[in-house]
Amino acid sequence: MNGFSYFWPCMTFNSLQFLVFFMVVTLWFFSLKGQKGRIWLLLLASCYFYMSFIPEYILILGGTIVIDYFAGIQIERSEGSSRRSWLIISLIANIGVLAVFKYYNFFIDNINTSFLFFGKPMSFPLLKMALPIGLSFHTFQAMSYTIEVYRKNQPAERNFIVYSLYVMFYPQLVAGPIERPQNVLPQLKEFRAYDWDNVKEGLARMLWGFFKKAVIADRLAMVVDRTFSHTSETSSIALFIGAVFYSFQIYCDFSGYSDIAIGAARVMNIRLMENFKQPYLSSNITTFWGRWHVSLSSWFRDYLYIPLGGNRKGEARRRFNVFLVFLLSGLWHGANWTFIVWGLLHGLFVILTGNSLKNAEEKGSAIITTVKTVATFVLVTFLWIFFRSQNVASAFYYIRFICSFKQGTNYIGISHAEFLFSLLVIAIMLLREKYIPAHFISSNKRFYAFLFSMIVICYLFGVFIENQFIYFQF
Amino acid sequence: MRHVIRYICILFGLALLWISTSRTAMQYLVTLRDVKNTWWGVDELDHGDLASLSYLYNIKQFAQPKWIEPEHAIFNGVKHTALYIHGDSYTRFIKDTEQFAGLSSYHFIDRNRGGTFHLDTTQKNILIIEISERYLRNYFSNLDIFSNFSEAGNDGPTSSSLLKEITPRLSYASFPGNIKLDSIFNVNINQNLQFNLFNYQFIMPMFGCKAAINYYLFHRASGDVVISADKKFLFLKETVSVDDKSSSYSPLPADEVSAIVERFNTIYDHYKQAGFNEAYLSIIPNSATINQPEGYNNLIPAIQNDPQLKIKVIDVYTPFTMSQELVYQTGDTHWNRKGLKIWLDIVNKKLTE
Repeated sequence: MNGFSYFWPCMTFNSLQFLVFFMVVTLWFFSLKGQKGRIWLLLLASCYFYMSFIPEYILILGGTIVIDYFAGIQIERSEGSSRRSWLIISLIANIGVLAVFKYYNFFIDNINTSFLFFGKPMSFPLLKMALPIGLSFHTFQAMSYTIEVYRKNQPAERNFIVYSLYVMFYPQLVAGPIERPQNVLPQLKEFRAYDWDNVKEGLARMLWGFFKKAVIADRLAMVVDRTFSHTSETSSIALFIGAVFYSFQIYCDFSGYSDIAIGAARVMNIRLMENFKQPYLSSNITTFWGRWHVSLSSWFRDYLYIPLGGNRKGEARRRFNVFLVFLLSGLWHGANWTFIVWGLLHGLFVILTGNSLKNAEEKGSAIITTVKTVATFVLVTFLWIFFRSQNVASAFYYIRFICSFKQGTNYIGISHAEFLFSLLVIAIMLLREKYIPAHFISSNKRFYAFLFSMIVICYLFGVFIENQFIYFQF
Repeated sequence: MRHVIRYICILFGLALLWISTSRTAMQYLVTLRDVKNTWWGVDELDHGDLASLSYLYNIKQFAQPKWIEPEHAIFNGVKHTALYIHGDSYTRFIKDTEQFAGLSSYHFIDRNRGGTFHLDTTQKNILIIEISERYLRNYFSNLDIFSNFSEAGNDGPTSSSLLKEITPRLSYASFPGNIKLDSIFNVNINQNLQFNLFNYQFIMPMFGCKAAINYYLFHRASGDVVISADKKFLFLKETVSVDDKSSSYSPLPADEVSAIVERFNTIYDHYKQAGFNEAYLSIIPNSATINQPEGYNNLIPAIQNDPQLKIKVIDVYTPFTMSQELVYQTGDTHWNRKGLKIWLDIVNKKLTE
């Protein structure tokens, strides 16, 4: 990562602080008899949650909320160019915050390097600031609100507290899903009675997410960290295992987070959008993007790809649109050339497959589909190497070493027994998500048995180190 | 009834969050629970810090043997040396000053707590700056190396700290109305919650069970502790992670060594001017440096052998690497009796020169 960053002990979903916080907020939420009180409670709780990361940055978030709130009302009231101007003000405010905190150092660093390359050393100053947590998520969610108001798909929200909660709702504040106002705002305003079925489903889903994070993702992290930091001395096969494990690590980490977020909201009777739909079972790269981080890919589709013309303006324009979407998607993930190259390569492969972003599942025989699914997974895995590496050169280095079938140490940071155990839990995860995708358990006895066994499994086999969720940095 | 339970849970959760945030409340609780052999007592680090941290103290090879103090130093001359140690956990626990030779007085300042040295100008004043290898590189980017000192007979310190906070740490700002945010958001809240919820003697067997599963099934320790490649030692994770500056294996740029040497020279000049007859640097190697030397970044030799280094060195790295006996405890970050004895012998030789 460029710029100044550090890890601060904070209220991640896998922390004790979150466990206690969630218990208090949920019980308190259901103790309140009016929706007004509940909204205030959730907003204050969300402020506390966000401030547990870096307290001062609530002021930045608050600033953009105020701007977007008034911009939304003005957009609704205005017509013609004035309407457009208010939208642009809102977009500039949000993108401006992103530009300063996330991209300024990256661009300045590259400018300084360029001057040095041409023999005229310059040193434009870099900002020594930490990146506000989840910045890319809540700015995109805020932008979706003003765009939808501009498109007249959503009335402007007059209640400032409700709008603030739409941006700050703690389960999805720092790593999504990036919600749409049409889905969340009505739910926040409606009083919903306590529903045991929702509580059961929400808790079961939270535990499943916690299982993916603590038992799988953080276990695989030991292998990934080892292979990506000892690339030169590690054998090709071990490097390949490291890359494959990273594919599952990032999936279990991010989808585990999403499960906890969706589950936590569900306990309070709020339904958030799905973020993952078994992406590694995709038979081509286009389908993969319809299943991976759905809330972001659909954001780019709805607010960038389609407004640019989508596939309606000819093949050349479609290719350009796809390329631009993936370039910006890469840049969204971080101010580093690794993310840009990762995004561009995905764009390139989507174009090469000749499908549009809205392409549906392909049909074919089981064998062909299986081969295609494996090939897509291998391709995605190789592209993740760019995502995980410190820089582009290291990524190429890693790929070159995998492809050279070189000898070296086969040690991958864990024992053989733990390697086999890792494969077992990955298989369990894939099979469960394929064949039992629902989280609702109707029988109370089964629910309690599931609850108890998951807590025991997560405790005994979870890896508890202070690992943040990977997507928090974005 | 449900409502009552609900409100009790809310109050319990709020109280737990408040107590775990409040430094005063936590200090009170830590003191209150510092009672052994009770169910609410704290799990002490009696078994060796790493063995306790990883709950592997029931595994035979990591169990802590009973500590036997090294014998007293033999010295028959006139005692006229005042020894000042500016150190950390390696020297903090030396209570029996008869282990040093020829001391008229002994003074210790814990670097993490700070303090004032009162120089006795009638004595030969010797200073030892003892520092663990794992703190060495981080130390010079964050903390103050100069302690206050005063001469006997003066009322106050004659000189105060010179190097402070070389790199400013990010601190919480004050909000309008003088609300201090660090009183609301305690960065140690998760450790405090763990202390309040789980750190009880009666829960320890559960932690021991998980640790045993990890050890026997996966051959590793949990959390911040790792098992050495030969399975004989526990190491603190940060001392073996390649991307941590505390590590024995993290890359060591030459300019960083030069910068550290330069700082030590400044420190040496400072203390010599302050009136110390001699100042020594004693870097205590990480256990991993000695017990798993393959891939070592050579931090200690690089500093100790730098021709620019002015401060004199109490070198334990060399005798530790040559020792045929173990010099570290197997389940602890610190040296064993043999390791301490080697250090004491070198120190006593310097004191009686």
